[in-house]
Amino acid sequence: MARIFNSMRDGVGFDLILVGAAMVFLLALAGLPLVYNVLMSFQQVDMFTLGDLFRPLAGFSNYVAVVNAPEFWLVTKNTLIFVFASMAGQFVLGFSLALFFAQKFPGAATIRGLFLVSWVMPGLVVGAIWSWILAGDFGVLNTILKSMGIIQAPIFWKSDPNFSIWAVIIANIWLGLAFNMLLLSVGLAAIPRDLYEAAELDGANAFQRFWTITLPMMRSTIGAVLSLGLIGTLQQFDLFPALTEGGPANTSNVAGYWAWQMSFKLYDFAKGATISVMMFVLVLIASIVYVRSTRHEVRG
Amino acid sequence: MTRPYVPWLLLALALALAAVYLFPLYWMYVTSLKSGSEIFANPPTFWPVDPDLSIYPSVWFRRTMQTFMWNSVLIASGVTAITVLLGTGCAYVLARYRSGWIDFGLFMILMLQVLPASVMITPLFVGFNQLGLLNYPRTAVVLAAAAKAMPFFVVLVRATFMSVPRELEEAALVDGNSRIGAFFNIVLPLARNGILVCAILTFMSSFGEYIYSKSIIQDGSMQPASVGLSGFLGPNSSDWNSIMAYSAIYVTPILAVFVLLQRRIVSGLTSGALK
Repeated sequence: MARIFNSMRDGVGFDLILVGAAMVFLLALAGLPLVYNVLMSFQQVDMFTLGDLFRPLAGFSNYVAVVNAPEFWLVTKNTLIFVFASMAGQFVLGFSLALFFAQKFPGAATIRGLFLVSWVMPGLVVGAIWSWILAGDFGVLNTILKSMGIIQAPIFWKSDPNFSIWAVIIANIWLGLAFNMLLLSVGLAAIPRDLYEAAELDGANAFQRFWTITLPMMRSTIGAVLSLGLIGTLQQFDLFPALTEGGPANTSNVAGYWAWQMSFKLYDFAKGATISVMMFVLVLIASIVYVRSTRHEVRG
Repeated sequence: MTRPYVPWLLLALALALAAVYLFPLYWMYVTSLKSGSEIFANPPTFWPVDPDLSIYPSVWFRRTMQTFMWNSVLIASGVTAITVLLGTGCAYVLARYRSGWIDFGLFMILMLQVLPASVMITPLFVGFNQLGLLNYPRTAVVLAAAAKAMPFFVVLVRATFMSVPRELEEAALVDGNSRIGAFFNIVLPLARNGILVCAILTFMSSFGEYIYSKSIIQDGSMQPASVGLSGFLGPNSSDWNSIMAYSAIYVTPILAVFVLLQRRIVSGLTSGALK
């Protein structure tokens, strides 16, 4: 007994307690729910069996019902558009800004830091602000676009089925842009200056320097930023209730919001769990890419 | 070779880019100061004709923001307390050793960092319901949100502990400190700043927590400010100056803290998330 107590104070036991407490907490509130989610997706869950652990089994019928739902393919398509358009926008704009702020001028670091305010804002507030900017009749974006001659008639961003998903994408790009830029800036700063000087002496122009030095040197950073962007986009939830609520007619609905609607609007927890499991498989693929691209850093 | 005016041109361009990027924030404050008819003016005015500050107290009382903000503070404090208490020790151990088990633990934590809240909420809600935790909805939200916040905190704080020299801790052990003594007297004080920045980040992000609170807390007097905002926000909302005033009251404290600590937050983030 004394030995155990001693090891807790002054040995491996101390480490085990520190790491164990966090691990037990995370397993109870993240690991177990994940397993439970899979279990629920194979059960019949309704208001009467909500309190039981062992409910009548349903086999694959929940999966069949979800895939056969009329909105399934629309939601899948929207999820893919949302993920790829958001990632592309965040990455291209973030990379351009990172390259710009890598130039030497007074106040570069401070102004770059200001961009990060978007990252600490509550998602719901960002959604509210963009909801007002994108409003069809009195929104300021339509006014700006019209005065620049880009559009003739106002676009009803949130209620036009052709644009509703893009309304959420615009807000999501704004939200994630700064974080992308910050991480890419760190990668840029790590490239040794003398590589550029040597290339300049050899007569390489700016484009050649970017293509043959910047991009290859940034490979692992770009991999990590892209997978973090994918993860962040799949986690995005708050913008949907604030902007479109998935509407009109599911044209801006994505997997995460659909799963929530199933559980908490229709109280069909089994289908909500089923969609969550499907989405989790997608997230798993993203995270494997992420872990692989940060592997060298983990071993650190 | 470089012309002396080029940096100043770049500075002007940088300011212009920042102005475009931060326009949504400006628009929030400007709209909140406009009158009910001015927000629907066409073309919109970019500076309020008759700025009216009285909307802030009126929204504060009409929307019972005192209760909402207090709940947000409570939830964010709870999440931060649990995350810091459990996460700091975990990050320390993960930074101190290198072995297959540590790699495995880090891998698990990175995987947990990835789980979307919208995936977790269904099993958490049903599970909490079975345990009877839904009768204490704020506690339930704190537990769920802490599990969501902890992986990110551990990854960032681990980077801070990596930068504390091992030799200092070993010297303290040679001098007769126990492991506990060395941890609390030497390692923790050296890593204090990094832990503080990460704790502030955790607080700020859980201050805006929405999905768990919306799903778990039914009682209006226990809901945080994000759920209160969603109460009068939707695809067809029109009360825009009140919504923007509410948003402004909600985020101004966060923005103030961010601007004050900007340098520290940015360096804390960059050292942890990517090296």
